[in-house]
Amino acid sequence: MSERTPRPTRQPTRRGRAVRWGVPIAVTALVAGAIGAGPVIAAVQGDPALPERTAEQLLADALRAAETGPRPMSGTLLQTASFGLPGLPQAAGPGGSTSPAALLAGSHELKVWYGGENKVRLALAGRMSETDLIVGGDQAWLWESADNTATRIKGDLSPEAHAAQAPKALPTATTPQQLAQEVLERAEEGTAIGVTANEKVAGRDAYQLTLAPKDASSLVKEVKVALDGETFVPLRVQVYAKSAAEPAFEVGFTSVAFTPPAPENFTFTPPPGATVKEQSLTEIGRELGADPQQRRERGEELKGDVKTVGEGWTTVAVLPFSVEDLTAESAGGDGSESESAAATAEALLESATPISGPWGSGKVIRTKLVSVLLTDDGRLLVGAVTPEKLAEAAGRK
Amino acid sequence: MSTVERVRPAAEDARTEGSASGAAPEPAPVSAGASGTEPGAAVSAGRAPGAVRSWLRLFGSEAGLTFRRPRNIAMLAVLAVIPVVIGVVMRLFAEPISAEAQAEGGGGIFTQITGNGLFLTFAALSVLVQLLLPVAVAVVAGDAVAGEAGGGTLRYLLTAPAGRTRLLAVKYGNAVVFGLAAVSLIAVSALVTGLVLFPAGPITLLSGTTIPFAEGLLRIGLVVLYVSAGMAALAAVALALSTLTEVAIGAIAATVVTVIVVQVIGVIPQLSWLQPYLLTHWWNGFDGVLRDPIATAEMGRGLLVFAAYTAISGSVAWARFTGKDITS
Repeated sequence: MSERTPRPTRQPTRRGRAVRWGVPIAVTALVAGAIGAGPVIAAVQGDPALPERTAEQLLADALRAAETGPRPMSGTLLQTASFGLPGLPQAAGPGGSTSPAALLAGSHELKVWYGGENKVRLALAGRMSETDLIVGGDQAWLWESADNTATRIKGDLSPEAHAAQAPKALPTATTPQQLAQEVLERAEEGTAIGVTANEKVAGRDAYQLTLAPKDASSLVKEVKVALDGETFVPLRVQVYAKSAAEPAFEVGFTSVAFTPPAPENFTFTPPPGATVKEQSLTEIGRELGADPQQRRERGEELKGDVKTVGEGWTTVAVLPFSVEDLTAESAGGDGSESESAAATAEALLESATPISGPWGSGKVIRTKLVSVLLTDDGRLLVGAVTPEKLAEAAGRK
Repeated sequence: MSTVERVRPAAEDARTEGSASGAAPEPAPVSAGASGTEPGAAVSAGRAPGAVRSWLRLFGSEAGLTFRRPRNIAMLAVLAVIPVVIGVVMRLFAEPISAEAQAEGGGGIFTQITGNGLFLTFAALSVLVQLLLPVAVAVVAGDAVAGEAGGGTLRYLLTAPAGRTRLLAVKYGNAVVFGLAAVSLIAVSALVTGLVLFPAGPITLLSGTTIPFAEGLLRIGLVVLYVSAGMAALAAVALALSTLTEVAIGAIAATVVTVIVVQVIGVIPQLSWLQPYLLTHWWNGFDGVLRDPIATAEMGRGLLVFAAYTAISGSVAWARFTGKDITS
């Protein structure tokens, strides 16, 4: 090979090399910019401008929108929960479990299609699996791809009955609409209502309504409800605890479209080879509630043994309960589900702090939003209040 | 690979320039300005048919070497055999495996294999995309530059009138094609095994809806493309690491270790906020194809992440490779 003299013009100098390295730096900056662009653009644009509305007007609008029922829509919901449950074994496995019980911790994405009365589809996607709830006309199905099971839900599917039962039986049915409705209905004397800066939620301009309990013993600092500027449909609900700056619970749309979804979403035929079951809502609820405490609660609720003390934000639920029952029930079950449930219960009990007073003694579990008091005389008190308030309620037999 | 083997295409390229002196050209010191030795004519011929042909020839010689290398063939063979093993095991012991897998929470897709052979493709890919497929791509892409440097053949390659940028692009294209070939091979092997061992027919998607067999094949095609895009992003990372060292095994090991570390980070619950930025997190995103409607938003996000990784790593590789002194 003949020797050639490299032309000096193309010889990379130290400066040339620096210029070359400018390219990856520029590309990295571009990517970082693209990631950060959303919040920056939002900050530059400022709060979306919407016609002024007082808190009362907004509340009335929201309630009216809730009464007329939501309009056809589809979207993606993101639910983030950080209740601060002490020492809870990780409920969600890597990649996200599709078990609805896993919704209690971490953040989860839920797809929603709503086509009108009795036309609902909810999809909870997991890694290589999906759980779907499909309500179409007079049929309702629960499809779990992980078990290849389709469950036909028996019972009354009229909107009233559905609304009354579904949120309790199926944690997956928690949409901003349902949650907002519950909160708005509670917004009575004990609540300070206000309006904060408008915000963009799921790409739409939205009003922000804040509801704060006046009672100091409530663990809830405030509840923020983002209402769509056009339709007054709740787009996001954030529940702030007094002890944290970040919302303890948040459910909201990350994308939403107010167009009627395709009708295929609301029909379901069990695929060939799938196990087909038939169950009523309460049965499913009992099965899905992996937490024995919840299961117990529900069981007791059905019996009508629950008493409530106080009202509004500081309502305390009192139900008969004992630690022995809990462990016995866990031991009585079979399979890995009850094992993990027992582990959860144990972890929770270990984190409980002893408490005593004129009413007796017991153990208190405190999370950001909810306090639970297990008294030694076999009562369970639950409420979104401070442990002191629970103890006070325990004194009122 | 032996030095002699590597020298061949370089010599071929050199011959076109009329300066080849034989099978073992005297190693001339190639300075950092090797790209500068390119004749001006070739540069100005930018998009001329001749340039395209020489690109293709360089690429063909690269691909030929890659697909003829025994270790690459061995890796492809292993990748092709695994779907067969999964299929046979599922056929023989369907019950215990599915129960065990279900307990781990990832059994959903495996239980469906016995019902429909097409699902073996998705199951096999979901298993292989975790480690074996990335390893195969890392071996090819990590070896691309470091292997040449380590074997002392890089300077011969650079004596050819092919600029460094072009050589890097060809090396990257080669790794991407290898990834696509590996993914396609897995898909085809799984498809054939599935159709032989299990009943075929309409596919049940994760959402519970059923689609005809032909559409199922189409969706397999989408999965292959998506996974290949993910592997192309990994190839860019491996190529960038490959330009940093002259020891091929170093670049390969670094890539594989990176993949494993990132996967470990991905399953730590406290770092879950980091997940959307991790490359490995998106590899499994192909399950979006199996939903009804197809989860285009999620998969689009995955493709954007792949593009970002490719752009950053690719530009690092370019900056490093075009600016470094080639001493071996």
